[in-house]
Amino acid sequence: MRRWLPAAWLALAGAMPVAGADAPSLTVFAAADLGFAFKEIVPRFEKSVGAKVSLVLGSSGNLATQIEHGAPADVFFSADRAFVERLAARGAVIAESRAVYAQGRIVLATARSFGPRLTDLRQLGDPRIRHVAIANPVHAPYGRAAEEALRKAGLWETVKPKLVFGENIRHALQFIQTGAAEAGIVARSVANVPEIEWTLIDSSLHAPLQQVAVVVKRTARPELGLAFIQFVNGPEGRSIMKRYGFILPGEF
Amino acid sequence: MLSLLISKRLDGFALDVRWEAGDQVVALFGPNGAGKTLTLQCLAGLVRPDQGRIALDERVFFDSAAGVDLRPQDRRLGYVFQGYALFPHLTVEENVAFGLKGRPRTERRARARMVLERLGLAGFEARYPRELSGGQQQRVALGRALAVDPDLLLLDEPLSAVDAPLRRQLREELGRIIREWGKATVLVTHDLAEAYQLADRIVVYEGGRVLQAAPKSELLWQPTSERVARLIGVRNLLRGSVLKSTPEVIQLRWREQTLEAVNSPSHLFLPHPGAALPFFIRPEYVRLIRKDRPGPDARHHMNLMDGEIVAEADQGTTWTLFFRLSEPGTPGQGTYDLEIEVPKLVYEILDMARDRRWQISIHRGSIQVLPSE
Amino acid sequence: MDLFPIWLSLQVSLMATALTLLVGVPVAWVLARRRFPGRDLLEALVVLPLILPPTVLGYYLLLVIGSQGPVGRALAVAGFELAFTWRAAVLAAAVGSIALLIKSAQAGFETVDARLEQAARTLGRSEWSVFWSVTLPLAWRSVLAGTVLAFCRAVGEFGITLMVAGNIPGKTQTLPLAIYDRVQANAMGEANALALIAVGGVALLLFGVSRMARLKY
Repeated sequence: MRRWLPAAWLALAGAMPVAGADAPSLTVFAAADLGFAFKEIVPRFEKSVGAKVSLVLGSSGNLATQIEHGAPADVFFSADRAFVERLAARGAVIAESRAVYAQGRIVLATARSFGPRLTDLRQLGDPRIRHVAIANPVHAPYGRAAEEALRKAGLWETVKPKLVFGENIRHALQFIQTGAAEAGIVARSVANVPEIEWTLIDSSLHAPLQQVAVVVKRTARPELGLAFIQFVNGPEGRSIMKRYGFILPGEF
Repeated sequence: MLSLLISKRLDGFALDVRWEAGDQVVALFGPNGAGKTLTLQCLAGLVRPDQGRIALDERVFFDSAAGVDLRPQDRRLGYVFQGYALFPHLTVEENVAFGLKGRPRTERRARARMVLERLGLAGFEARYPRELSGGQQQRVALGRALAVDPDLLLLDEPLSAVDAPLRRQLREELGRIIREWGKATVLVTHDLAEAYQLADRIVVYEGGRVLQAAPKSELLWQPTSERVARLIGVRNLLRGSVLKSTPEVIQLRWREQTLEAVNSPSHLFLPHPGAALPFFIRPEYVRLIRKDRPGPDARHHMNLMDGEIVAEADQGTTWTLFFRLSEPGTPGQGTYDLEIEVPKLVYEILDMARDRRWQISIHRGSIQVLPSE
Repeated sequence: MDLFPIWLSLQVSLMATALTLLVGVPVAWVLARRRFPGRDLLEALVVLPLILPPTVLGYYLLLVIGSQGPVGRALAVAGFELAFTWRAAVLAAAVGSIALLIKSAQAGFETVDARLEQAARTLGRSEWSVFWSVTLPLAWRSVLAGTVLAFCRAVGEFGITLMVAGNIPGKTQTLPLAIYDRVQANAMGEANALALIAVGGVALLLFGVSRMARLKY
């Protein structure tokens, strides 16, 4: 066996990159639908406070599970308050820090490649629409809302055979963007992409998507996490959130 | 002194054997599947017997009662596998030196070269096994086993992988090498000629048991049972019935003839009159009575019978005559009663090609009785 | 463009492959050469990571090495961080790829004539020496093939990593996670560039390995 091989590997291992430890850092676990909005909010927060933010996006369910098992999140922005409540019950978060930061809206999205924009849920019954993409109702709150809306509109049985589930709304959005699904139901906040056109869905058709943020108990910097939540709910944050179609506390 | 007593059960097969051998060459002989190779593997420590004891001089290899089971690595033996099992990825020299690990490199090379030279393979050091002929591979395998200077040499069917024409020559070479090295040796074979030529002592195996263990001449001359006789390919294996028996002589009836045979010295057995008795007659010891001389002489001729030659087979240096007695009735071996072996000279002098009727005489010492099962 | 994921994936994959070899080769040898009660169970356990969906596997792993799990708690006492660090990414990659190495190596060992190993034993070699001098040299191609497969699988490992290491940029975001992230953010240009680097890098490695393999024999 070549003698230099193990030495080379050891050298490689020793050179393992260590996360930069200069500025105080904040790890934000955020639901997928906040991706676009937070991409704007985070740099502004960083500048105003002088902290470095690490943004981790994912499906709220998975993120909640990871937090429960010790993931290094400082603050959690969930798309569904149920996950936050569960974490609070398990003592994984600082219950007093809970704050509603937005209410989500769902929209009926149409792939531009398919044709004119759909304006009514019932149009999903059109035989030319073969696949309808939504987020997985089992663990994604927007998926659950989509299912509620379809059921309330009496369309669940008709549309169910055509349903394609995405891991989260980003995933569902991709189905529509690529044309693999002709239409679907996604979050308002991610819908502004060139490949689709969308129509708001009546919010009375589903339980409100109350989106709650909370500071995680094991954080080393609870005050920084709280500051971030307050920033999102502050004037700068709110104006950005509004642009991405979130309905904000005080408006509902 | 090698002593072995083992039993081992495998699915559907039971091995229960016991034998001893002095510092000599022992052949385990018998049909395929009799347990010979299994015994060898137990000797080597590659297979663990269920029970028993294996010891070489004062060294105990295995003792189930005392909980002793030496690893193959610690038994200091040389094993030549059937098919040789040479390491294909190593040169001839590396193969031979394989067991010498731990000694300085110069010593290993020197010893390997010495062994190869003694085996007539000097100059082959850098070759690979696949480049060698069967006979050469066999010698490398032997060299590999002998290079470690083992206390015991084990050979599993050393010549079965060799084509027939070459086998005789290699057998002689192998015998020479084994005797030159002078190690206690156990070899496994299903070929009696091989066992006879290479070994001093033969242990007959069948169905997982030892039927007879004896010096080779004793085996050939005094197989202890009909089964053993069959295994070693005895000819003229016949069945008669006892008329009278004494410690020295047994009188028996066969094909309405009254024959007298010496009693077996190792089994002074006295069968009752009327008992079935297997016996055999050596083909080369049947005497044809010359017609140009005065008649049979009672002192030298006995067990006289008349008959004719019904067929013959050319064996190269001898003729095998197939002799049928004049006595009416079914012949003892199908279409004939006895096989008789005569040198070609005798065949021609007595003009047997034309003169077919003969009287034969068999000395009682040439009729061997076999204790029945 | 942020090159961290490339660097991280390279190191994680190499370490995971080393770990896979360390654990996998002995297991493969045991499966090839030994009969023992529970052998079938071990074989089933080996292929389990190939059958389970990666996220599920990741979840079960998290139950064990996370802050609530027995291993996680023990490690926390010792001050050693495993979950949600690059080490968990190594573990995830190893778990996901070890079956490929074990199966290849096992098949290779099984084709080595057992009598050669027996011969080596009668010539006084220890079990360890028998393995290094006889078994491995005769089975090295299978082991190499298995290693290459395992490495490629480790490079592409996604689902398990996502769960046990998390998708934390700059810390645990390996190349596949990074590509996924870019796609989710609609940054297709970056996603394509990263994918190209991944494919190109592995192709180069495979080329190098096949050249080396041909040279040896």
